Amino acid sequence: MRHVLADEAQTWLIEKIAHRLGVEPAEVPPEQYFDELGLDSTEALILAGEMESWLGFELATTALWYHPTIKDLAAHIAEESGRRAAAA
Amino acid sequence: MRQQRRAGRAGASPIVLRHRQAVPGATTVCAVHPGSLPVGVWGHLADALPQDTGLTVLDLAGVPEYFEAALSGDHADLSIASLADRLTAAYRADREGPPQSPAPVFVGWSFGGVLAQAVIERLAPEERPDRLVLVDSIAPTDAYQQPDDALDVPLLLRWFAMYLGAKRSRDLSTCFDSMGTDDLATGLELLLDAAVTSGALPPDTPPPGLRKLYDTYVEGLLRNNRLTAGHRPPVSSVPLVLIKAERSLIPQDKTLGWTELARHGLSLHAAPGDHYTTLTRPDAAEVIAELSGRR
Repeated sequence: MRHVLADEAQTWLIEKIAHRLGVEPAEVPPEQYFDELGLDSTEALILAGEMESWLGFELATTALWYHPTIKDLAAHIAEESGRRAAAA
Repeated sequence: MRQQRRAGRAGASPIVLRHRQAVPGATTVCAVHPGSLPVGVWGHLADALPQDTGLTVLDLAGVPEYFEAALSGDHADLSIASLADRLTAAYRADREGPPQSPAPVFVGWSFGGVLAQAVIERLAPEERPDRLVLVDSIAPTDAYQQPDDALDVPLLLRWFAMYLGAKRSRDLSTCFDSMGTDDLATGLELLLDAAVTSGALPPDTPPPGLRKLYDTYVEGLLRNNRLTAGHRPPVSSVPLVLIKAERSLIPQDKTLGWTELARHGLSLHAAPGDHYTTLTRPDAAEVIAELSGRR
């Protein structure tokens, strides 16, 4: 299993959220809370499902709750991905 | 640090939300909201009630353990009794001060009806409302409790279609009327097509995204189902008013099981919409307002 780095996860999240919001990626601040970005709960969960498909593993649904910004979530994804890659 | 931030986000949501203060001498309607839809949907009822009538919402989103239980699947420490205790304490704290009259009216939608009934039975006789209005709520009686596996795929898909439609302001409630399926992947594919066609979801919505939304929705249902399974409600101390949605969760059932608990009477009414849109449609709000706001 490939190890996804935090920068890579952050770039993926920013691009997807920017597309969903119809703004440029530079306009999506990685340290802002998801619920302040203009994504509603339906959109956030759909994004989470798409992200799991990209990562190739499931994240706990609580991940968005415990890691409520792009930057925090990307760091968590990298940590989880590294753990899984090491165990594979 | 993470725990602090998490607690901070959860703490941002109070249990008691006051839409409108009643003018002196006027009734207050107290609604119990179990989540699933945004708490702001009660604004439709506020608009439909007489302007002197107050509206307060007891929002379960203000109980972080309840919200988290749907995400984590862990609800070992939760029960209807513990939730009702929290709501009752918040309700009492909000009404501290000079006596307020006349008696309030309680309204509970869906699982909120079960909690509203539990809260009322915790109140002293002089604190109790003069009635409980149940909006498409299924009674927590033995006959109406179901094991998790009774919630099968065709049933869950039909309910999920209603839920998604209400969340996105589109009617998807008839999606499976002509073409039911017991295969989840096929059902979600049909629903995704219908949702994109209706404009409920953007055309590039990925199937895994809809699956994640479905899984989370079902987790919330299962949480409530398991909480209800351990609950033994007393008969109601106040009259019950049941408003069934035209497309209810159990369409063929007239009383949704409340007869057994209705020692002081049960009146039956209907409102437009499905289980979810009955909270979002202004014409349904008129029905709820008529039955909860009158003195």
